[in-house]
Amino acid sequence: MIQHIENPVVEVHDLMVSYGQNPVLWNVDLSLPAGSLVGILGPNGAGKSTLIKAIMGLVEANSGYSKLFDQELNQVRNKVSYVPQRESVDWDFPASALDIVMMGTYHHLGLLKRPGKKEKELAMDCLDKVNMKNFAGRQISELSGGQQQRVFIARALAQQAELYFMDEPFAGVDMSTEKALIELFREMTAEGKTVIVVHHDIYSAGKYFDWLIMLNMHLVASGPTAEVLTEELLTKTYGGKLSTLADLGEIIKKSGFNPLKD
Amino acid sequence: MEDFLYFFSFQDPNVLMVVIGISLLSISAAMVGTFTFLDKKALVGDAISHAVLPGVCLAFMFSGNKNPYWIVSGAFFTGALSTYVISWVARYTKLKEDTVIASVLSIFFGVGIVLMTQLQQTGNASLSGLDHFIFGNAISIVREDLWVYGALATCIIVVLLVFYKEFKVMVFNRSFAESIGLPVKRLDFVFNSLMVLAVVTGIQAIGVVLMAALLITPAAAAKFWTDRLSRLLFLAVLFSLISGISGAYISFSLPHMPTGPWVVVVLSIIAFLSFFFSTKKGILTRWVSRRKYQSKIHRDHILKALYQAEEHDKKGLPQKDIVDNFPGKVVKTHRTLRQLKKKGYITNDRELVALTSTGNSEAKRIVRLHRLWELYMTEYMNIAPDHVHESAEKFEHIITPELERQLDKSLNFPKEDPHQSIIPRDQNKP
Ligand SMILES: Nc1ncnc2c1ncn2[C@@H]1O[C@H](COP(=O)(O)OP(=O)(O)O)[C@@H](O)[C@H]1O
Ligand SMILES: [Mg+2]
Repeated sequence: MIQHIENPVVEVHDLMVSYGQNPVLWNVDLSLPAGSLVGILGPNGAGKSTLIKAIMGLVEANSGYSKLFDQELNQVRNKVSYVPQRESVDWDFPASALDIVMMGTYHHLGLLKRPGKKEKELAMDCLDKVNMKNFAGRQISELSGGQQQRVFIARALAQQAELYFMDEPFAGVDMSTEKALIELFREMTAEGKTVIVVHHDIYSAGKYFDWLIMLNMHLVASGPTAEVLTEELLTKTYGGKLSTLADLGEIIKKSGFNPLKD
Repeated sequence: MEDFLYFFSFQDPNVLMVVIGISLLSISAAMVGTFTFLDKKALVGDAISHAVLPGVCLAFMFSGNKNPYWIVSGAFFTGALSTYVISWVARYTKLKEDTVIASVLSIFFGVGIVLMTQLQQTGNASLSGLDHFIFGNAISIVREDLWVYGALATCIIVVLLVFYKEFKVMVFNRSFAESIGLPVKRLDFVFNSLMVLAVVTGIQAIGVVLMAALLITPAAAAKFWTDRLSRLLFLAVLFSLISGISGAYISFSLPHMPTGPWVVVVLSIIAFLSFFFSTKKGILTRWVSRRKYQSKIHRDHILKALYQAEEHDKKGLPQKDIVDNFPGKVVKTHRTLRQLKKKGYITNDRELVALTSTGNSEAKRIVRLHRLWELYMTEYMNIAPDHVHESAEKFEHIITPELERQLDKSLNFPKEDPHQSIIPRDQNKP
């Protein structure tokens, strides 16, 4: 079940991605409506992070393309925000929570300019929105996993974007914080922003999201939550890798070159 | 002493020049090194500093003298080549990066040593002093060298300050930096060039072998004192300056003494002092806070004993009983009793020790924490009531007022612990 829409905010066209000889995303083709809260579901290693990274231009696609706001990524960078997985950074870095959130203001600043009072106020507001104002001066390694996650989200808020990609923002976050964050995302989508979240709990996904993407190396489903959250599609998503795709991947790995790359 | 005054009064323009040169290069090395250290590229720094040697020798062979322009170009060339080889080999083979770095380091350095031996056998008179490039000699810096090395160091410092926030976000979170549109590949190139340049500026004063130490050690030592990047940079620069200038001074006062090793000796002393005495993570600080914690435990236990005596309707306890209660800690117990009296927690009249009202409320607090924790463990963690005492003995000393409130709330302000002892509370406070 893959539903396409008119005037999508995100359009992914036949996207194919490999790491070296190892293909991980096969022909992903989808479109997402603006102003929605979108969940990306799929088992570990399904390529959820890779999909976001490919859209953000952080990994190279073998073929296919993606468009945001019907434009190239480089034209709309100021309107797009990316929240990486928390484990992807070393939290022992010498910085306070506020320092990290300030990074969200850097791309508006440009070269040579230092963040000033205005940026600091914005960063404090964003920390407040995720309930972390009291931790602004705290060294980031002294924060709990959930608090670090919220610092990352505050940094994304400081970017004042229209479209947000968040990779597992609920990992290591307690239940009440997760609820509060969903509440925050709801407010953002009500203002017309689009929030796309990698999530792994299928039960809460039904309640949280307007739109679901189900992924397992290939695209299993993309559509309104009520229509795609079915037993059959869930089995397809979580019922192990498609053996043909896995076998084909093995052949490509052994062949010593990647025929998918041009 | 005379030497010392002569050197540090800077009356000799040559001395002044040496000091300016070594200061600039110490600052630039420490700044580049701070980012190198945070980016976990210390090994690459080491490889570069060894890899500039063949370049120095080649420059010598071509130019036939110690012309600094040639030396710098040669050194920069092989240094940059080594970083390029490292990333190329690591990308296209399955070898681990540290294996590649170590191999590149030894191959480049090996070639450098061969070339140097070759050069020395030719017996060229102008070659004397070539070995300065191994261990460095700050005093051999002449005006022309200063211009070249000083200009390079200044460039490095300026570029780092200009791109400060870009490098900061790139080192912390590369994918984020890329996602906001920073040209990470070009910044990588700039940074690698700065790293090579920082090594190159130090080859004459510090020597190739020890430049890696001047890159990394200041930042590593500074990390013990602070956890903010701006302060880390400042401290690293300070440590680097101190050791750079001391090294130059030693070379000056003891002729023929190489500079590099002395710079590293001073740096190592600073690093060791940081390791032992830093207020944040130093060994000594940890030892002191451990001692403090242990005395707090002892104090808490005495207060508790007195409180329990009151619970059994005694006015207090004889000092002798208290001391006997803690065998092997006679001196400590006496000292703690004196401290408690001074703080107004106890009275100690005619050998009878009793709690004052402040002491009583403090003792209550400890007993309350003990019993609250016991109750929490039985209620929430399903642990049998006869298994909770040990753990509560430890936690009563560390539970903060915040946590206490949280415990109280989740247990709904209980009256009794699992052993039906009353959880004591001050009357005036809820
Ligand atoms: N940098 C990388 N190099 C090689 N393989 C990778 C890399 N990142 C991810 N992979 C592989 O690609 C597959 C998809 O990974 P990922 O997108 O992280 O999955 P998910 O986020 O859904 O758990 C996995 O099999 C993983 O091992
Ligand atoms: Mg992932």
